[in-house]
Amino acid sequence: MTYTLHAAHLYGDLMNTYGDIGNILAMGYYAKAVNATIDVDLVSLDDPFDPDKYDFVLFGGGQDYEQSIVSKDLQTKKAPLTRYIEDGGPFLAICGGFQMLGHYYIGANGEKIAGIGALDHYTLSQDNNRFIGNITIKNAETGQTYYGFENHNGMTFLGDGERPLGDVLQGHGNNGKDGSEGVIYKNTFGSYFHGPILARNEALAKRILKIALNRKYPDADFSALDQLTEDLTKNVDVKA
Amino acid sequence: MSINSTLATWTGKSAYWFLHTFRGGGSSLPGKLALKLDPAILKHLAKNYDVIVITGTNGKTLTTALTVKVLHEQYPDILTNPSGSNMKQGIVTTFLTAPKAHHKPLAVLEVDEANVIMVTKYITPKAFVFTNIFRDQMDRYGEIYTTYQKILDGVALAPEATIIANGDLPLFHSKNLPNPMLFYGFDYQADHDQQAPANTDGLLCPNCQHILRYHSRTYSNMGKYFCPNCGFERPQLTWKLNALTSMTPTSSDFEINGQAMHLNIGGQYNIYNALAAFAVGRFMDVPAKQIAHALSANDEQVFGRQETFHVGDKDVTLILVKNPVGLNQVIQTISTDERPFSFAALLNANYADGIDTSWIWDGDFEKLPEMNIPAFISGGERYRDITFRLKVAGVTPEQLTVIPDLTNMTAAIQNLPTKQVYVVATYTAMLQLRKQLASQGIINGGMA
Repeated sequence: MTYTLHAAHLYGDLMNTYGDIGNILAMGYYAKAVNATIDVDLVSLDDPFDPDKYDFVLFGGGQDYEQSIVSKDLQTKKAPLTRYIEDGGPFLAICGGFQMLGHYYIGANGEKIAGIGALDHYTLSQDNNRFIGNITIKNAETGQTYYGFENHNGMTFLGDGERPLGDVLQGHGNNGKDGSEGVIYKNTFGSYFHGPILARNEALAKRILKIALNRKYPDADFSALDQLTEDLTKNVDVKA
Repeated sequence: MSINSTLATWTGKSAYWFLHTFRGGGSSLPGKLALKLDPAILKHLAKNYDVIVITGTNGKTLTTALTVKVLHEQYPDILTNPSGSNMKQGIVTTFLTAPKAHHKPLAVLEVDEANVIMVTKYITPKAFVFTNIFRDQMDRYGEIYTTYQKILDGVALAPEATIIANGDLPLFHSKNLPNPMLFYGFDYQADHDQQAPANTDGLLCPNCQHILRYHSRTYSNMGKYFCPNCGFERPQLTWKLNALTSMTPTSSDFEINGQAMHLNIGGQYNIYNALAAFAVGRFMDVPAKQIAHALSANDEQVFGRQETFHVGDKDVTLILVKNPVGLNQVIQTISTDERPFSFAALLNANYADGIDTSWIWDGDFEKLPEMNIPAFISGGERYRDITFRLKVAGVTPEQLTVIPDLTNMTAAIQNLPTKQVYVVATYTAMLQLRKQLASQGIINGGMA
């Protein structure tokens, strides 16, 4: 039996600044282990978003200029995206994508730029400062540790219904103040992590992949994924 | 000459003499000392020169070297800064240590994007050359628009200088400037309406914010672009690459404005560098034939960035990579090699490499498995990241050797099944490998 997931890469031609596409590539790699493939559609300016078609959505980060353009177009997709999220569709939003799922963020020139308010957070800006560097967080629910690289001016504050993706062990996180990083709401995951997050954090990649597979194929067994571990030291040459 | 600048010049020159004589190098220290005594020292040092400033994220060093070669056909005295000395202190050192020139000399300067303003504060260049702006070490300077703005902040102090720019890059046509602007670009393909791949940077029309399309594309977001919505399009080119005859990993043959050219280095990106040098040459009235002659010389000092050496019976080519556009060009270039070869990728994430390794995911590693490469090596301090990247791209565990510790690289290279080996490395990984090779007597010490 082979399985197929349909993924939407939201604004992949505009929100693609820090290798965020690697999240889909990494998921596709793990999917192969359980005979699944991932088809990717680019859903960009003026394209409709069909919430019933997709099993996974990636919304990456972009440059200020591109993000301000995306913010306007995104309003036309607000209703179907909100429905997809409320229905429990698996969604990964990174950096600017994470910010724009919330109510608003403050742009480079101090202007308030609208998100779609599908999630309850908002984002302020820092004066002449960015949070840049390696970051480590711990997910409370699973105890898993995630590694990444953050590079953002925005300070995001979560709303009442939102849990953080993790507690900051090292680095700045959502806002440098409350020790939270990212967000989990239903099956939507948001984060400032580049790296990309799913390429550097196998456990999280498999967790989101399993959510997507089980949602589309509820009767199939994907537990083989749990046995799989990517041993990156396997071919280390010690003979030399 | 003020007392300050006299004293500053003397101090800088003495420091250079001391360092050069006793330490075997010059570095940026003389410039630093001179700047301390007289922050405006550059005004004094450069006052007799006609200055050409070359800036952009990729290709500055080679474009500068090629431009110097081209201009040498016509101008005997040309001052230029060594690769890497492209910030304020290094530029001051370059002028401090210049031999005395006899007639009005030229200076061709490679200038870091953010340092253009440091130069134009004191010098009014005759021309600027804009090579390109791609994502590069964004943890340092930010986004492509910010980087371009940094260059323009410097250019604003010299509104009469001519700008010679890569016309294939939409960003360089996005602002109306008071300066005269001349463009160069590729124009050898028949028009064929197309879109850039989704994961390309800088695709928004600067006028109306629709996605740009292309009649022909070279790589990244460069080509004969147009906006289907508002009609924004590539400007008229003064210098056109009108034919591309052949490309191998070590040479290119092409025509610019009908003049046949041969270049002893591979890679489409290097043809852009040659185009820029051609443009400056013509701008400075060097005849096209003489430019072709200057560019066709096989000058190892100029083309040193692609270093080759032998490890046992292996021919190894070592190539610096620092961003996805550069990496993709390397991958494209080695794909023109008809011999069997192996491929090694070494990744570090120190400051000089760029501390964020995410960019490797924007590189076209997926093209490698299509090239029938029998063996791969992944290594460097961030070997886990690059190993996983290669695996995701389709490299099988059987093809792959992982070398976290570069002291094992020579042995690993000797075990490869092909005579030809390509090694791509980020900056500090390259330094570490070179140090290793030098300690084993495989190459001479020092940075190429």
